[in-house]
Amino acid sequence: MSTTPDKLVERYLKHLEVELDDLPRDRRREIVDEISGHIAEARAGLEHETEADVRNILEGLGDPADIAEDARERFDVRPPAQPQPFKPGWMEVAALVFLLIGGLIIPIFGWVIGVVLLWVSNAWNIRDKIIGTLFVPGGLGLPIGLALFSSSASGGTCGPVIAGSGRAITAAPCSYDTSSTNYFGIVALIALIVIPIVTTAYLAYRLRQQPTVAAIA
Amino acid sequence: MVAVGRQDALLAQMRKGTLQYCVLALLSDEERYGFDLVRSLAETDGMVTSEGTIYPLLSRLRRDGLVETTWRESTSGPPRRYYKLTKSGRTALDAFRAEWGPFRDAVDHFVERKA
Repeated sequence: MSTTPDKLVERYLKHLEVELDDLPRDRRREIVDEISGHIAEARAGLEHETEADVRNILEGLGDPADIAEDARERFDVRPPAQPQPFKPGWMEVAALVFLLIGGLIIPIFGWVIGVVLLWVSNAWNIRDKIIGTLFVPGGLGLPIGLALFSSSASGGTCGPVIAGSGRAITAAPCSYDTSSTNYFGIVALIALIVIPIVTTAYLAYRLRQQPTVAAIA
Repeated sequence: MVAVGRQDALLAQMRKGTLQYCVLALLSDEERYGFDLVRSLAETDGMVTSEGTIYPLLSRLRRDGLVETTWRESTSGPPRRYYKLTKSGRTALDAFRAEWGPFRDAVDHFVERKA
């Protein structure tokens, strides 16, 4: 199995291009073009080119990884290999608190603050952020708000009586079975309370699970 | 024993730091193209470990305005990018020369083994 010199050169340049990936494009192009020119010059100077000659030329240039490391240092580009370990900060904690009970502190707006912090933070990936936003909009503010709303409304109109003592049920002019409506309402209420808590716990768990920055969604 | 890795790194840094002035010096009399520069540098042992690292350096020097480049036709192949010292390149080289001489002598004074 022999490799043609052209193949060797092509493989070397491709390797170099990959290694230089985190450099700005124009710089990467310039370096790859110049090194490609260097190889062409060196090969043009050979009488009878052999595979060994080409291997020597490439070895003289050095390992693409070394060239890339040198280039990163010259251009002050941080190496991509070791991202800073991610430490959850106040923003992540605040995001979780506001998502869950922000709506109770400042109706609606408090939860919106939580959502903004959730999306601004690098701690979660897009999937986590969507889960955090959709389950459940308003956080605990939603079920509590609903409970307050329906208990105040239950005196006059027909609707699920999901909070309160139930003493007003007889006064509700509903033709259908109020007790089953009531039962459904309570289940929905419990779900609306449990889901945001579970979601918050999940996001907190993801926070611990990700020692590295997960900004790449 | 423990410090060997550190020492290698230090020497590599010194080589890297001075290499750009060697390149500027090579360009001080005439303009040259990359391959020609590398060949001249490689003639002296110990200056360049991987020749390919000259090219990021040249790119950086160009961006810093210490050298400028022109493409010229070559008789033997595709056009070549020629590097030429700029005015600020020359200033930088002169400033380095003024510092380097006394520095080199001072280091020699201490580390050279007396015959």
